[in-house]
Amino acid sequence: MKTLPFLKKYVSLILVLGVCYSCIKDTDFEQSDTLTINPIMEVNLVKVQETPESFLDASGDEVPFISDLVVLEALTSNFIVDNLIKAELVFGITNSINKAFQIKMDFYDSADALQHTFSIDIDNSPTNTSLFTEHVEVFENMSLLALKSTSKLDITISLRSSPTGTVLTPDSEGSIRLTSKGVFYLKLSS
Amino acid sequence: MKWLLFLGVFVSLHAQNKQLLYGFKDVPQQILLNPGAQVDYRGYIGVPLLSHIHFNAGITGFSAFDVFADDGKDFNQKIRDVVYEMNARDFVGFNQQLDVFSAGLTLKTSTQHKLFISFGLYQESDVFSYFPKDFAVLAYEGNYNNLNRRFDFGQLNVSAELLSVFHIGVNKKINSKWTLGLRGKVYSSIVQASSTQNKGSFITVPTANNNLNHVFDLDMKLQTSGLSFLDDSSANNSLDVLKKRLLFGGNLGLGVDVGFTHQPSPEWTIDASLQDIGFINYSKDVKNYILDGDLEYDGIQSVFPQVVSGQTAQDYWNEVKNDFDELFEIDSSTTSYTIWRPVKFNSSVSYNFGRKIRKECNCLDKLDRTFQNRVGAHLFAMKRPNHLQWALSTFYYRKIFKGLQLKTTYTIDTYSFTNVGLGLSASLGSIQFYVMADNLLEYQNLAKSQSVSLQLGFNYIFKNNEN
Repeated sequence: MKTLPFLKKYVSLILVLGVCYSCIKDTDFEQSDTLTINPIMEVNLVKVQETPESFLDASGDEVPFISDLVVLEALTSNFIVDNLIKAELVFGITNSINKAFQIKMDFYDSADALQHTFSIDIDNSPTNTSLFTEHVEVFENMSLLALKSTSKLDITISLRSSPTGTVLTPDSEGSIRLTSKGVFYLKLSS
Repeated sequence: MKWLLFLGVFVSLHAQNKQLLYGFKDVPQQILLNPGAQVDYRGYIGVPLLSHIHFNAGITGFSAFDVFADDGKDFNQKIRDVVYEMNARDFVGFNQQLDVFSAGLTLKTSTQHKLFISFGLYQESDVFSYFPKDFAVLAYEGNYNNLNRRFDFGQLNVSAELLSVFHIGVNKKINSKWTLGLRGKVYSSIVQASSTQNKGSFITVPTANNNLNHVFDLDMKLQTSGLSFLDDSSANNSLDVLKKRLLFGGNLGLGVDVGFTHQPSPEWTIDASLQDIGFINYSKDVKNYILDGDLEYDGIQSVFPQVVSGQTAQDYWNEVKNDFDELFEIDSSTTSYTIWRPVKFNSSVSYNFGRKIRKECNCLDKLDRTFQNRVGAHLFAMKRPNHLQWALSTFYYRKIFKGLQLKTTYTIDTYSFTNVGLGLSASLGSIQFYVMADNLLEYQNLAKSQSVSLQLGFNYIFKNNEN
């Protein structure tokens, strides 16, 4: 039993080291309540490519406008409604037709009520060279709420008369191209 | 037959490396690390469920202090710093073991020939995951500032398993220089899930006129077995299923441990072992989930219905939606699969010196002729899915007197370069006691540690009169 004092000493040493001295200091584990991340996703949206013929009726006369409708289910999803804090829709239009246009975007909710609208004016290209127009539509606060209730997007391309523009015929040259992407600013909180 | 009865309460929190226990021949559990270790006792019994309780956790790349320090810095900025400092080779590991029962005894085939047999059943759980850096960056930043960056989905590499292991080992001292050992194992996997063979990527490529091309290439797989009991609402049934699987009712596998100790001279010792050379075949209650597909998406083509009748942008949108649904559609199968156990390697070289001197006569103590000191180096390595986890230790072992031994280690490994450990084994009458702890320098503030270790053991010994 001579070993007892030695044992006691070592046991105490280890226990002191292991239990009393092993502290977790200067920390605040409550901080994790506030974890947030802010990814920005960039996604391609609608694209359009039309030639002058697209704006003529069967008898070769100009129509006032053409339009198309896209049903968007993603914008009203819970994920977007809860986490989207800002959005930008970026449109790039390249026009080489000697005709001015107006592109109008109408955002409708599921009850077909208009939530948001804007239009982009496109100059005519007298020499059929490609003219580039960019439009950025920013959705924040009220317009963001409008975007989040949007379930349908109506795209209308109207013909506009301009001083140097011509009336379209089957022989008119050039094309109008539209590309668009959405930049979605998300805020995800734990 | 004299027995050592082990009443061990063994609590530890450390890396899978057991550098303090390895070669600590006063503690019988060392024979599980090297079946060819030198055995100086005639037998032992572990008290059911109490002979070995082990828990460890480790992380590379950061410590809790890096993110939870009460330093007034923005928490999200600290997390961000950690995420950006870590790389896809960093990992998180967790391992836990519980001895259900264990015992060892010496069989004498003749006066000269002795064979040491040890056996037992232990339960083990293991979780391992690499840090999927690209997923983290995608979650943090999105693709907006990462055009042309290829997000590698192959970085997702995670596995988790709960299993029981029955083992029986033989240990034979061939002559004064060689001791050899072999241990056979039967694994019974209770629950397993792993996703370790993933390939694929996501990239956003900018094209002309503000346009983007999103390219998805997915080849991902999650294999699971034994999870169906989760669907069973009755808790009793689930418990029965788990109990059955603990006793060979799970997915079975086989493995061996091999090891040796070579003592070319009384001063020098070289030993090495390989643990868990084996596999488990998963065929019962298997469910695999497969995500396989490619997709390029560059926007919804609008075709104005007045222009071309028949197809509208809506039709294109539906087509795109179907393509995405197909891309992310998860197929499942019940195909059996085989996974190799993570092999572990231990080896050490040590030098013994300093026999006990009696002060009265300034001569060697005839009652204890053993060396009182040992110094050496120990290498540990373990096969992980994408890399070899390793640790290198130097150690000093000191026999204070017959009933008290100390071992101290200094270890460098993936976790740290400042790991100092201390182990103690003591016998007092019928009680043996041991304590092992590493990363002692970190104990001033555990939050700064990336892995910590503490093992305590109380052992009840029936004295071996022949010693």
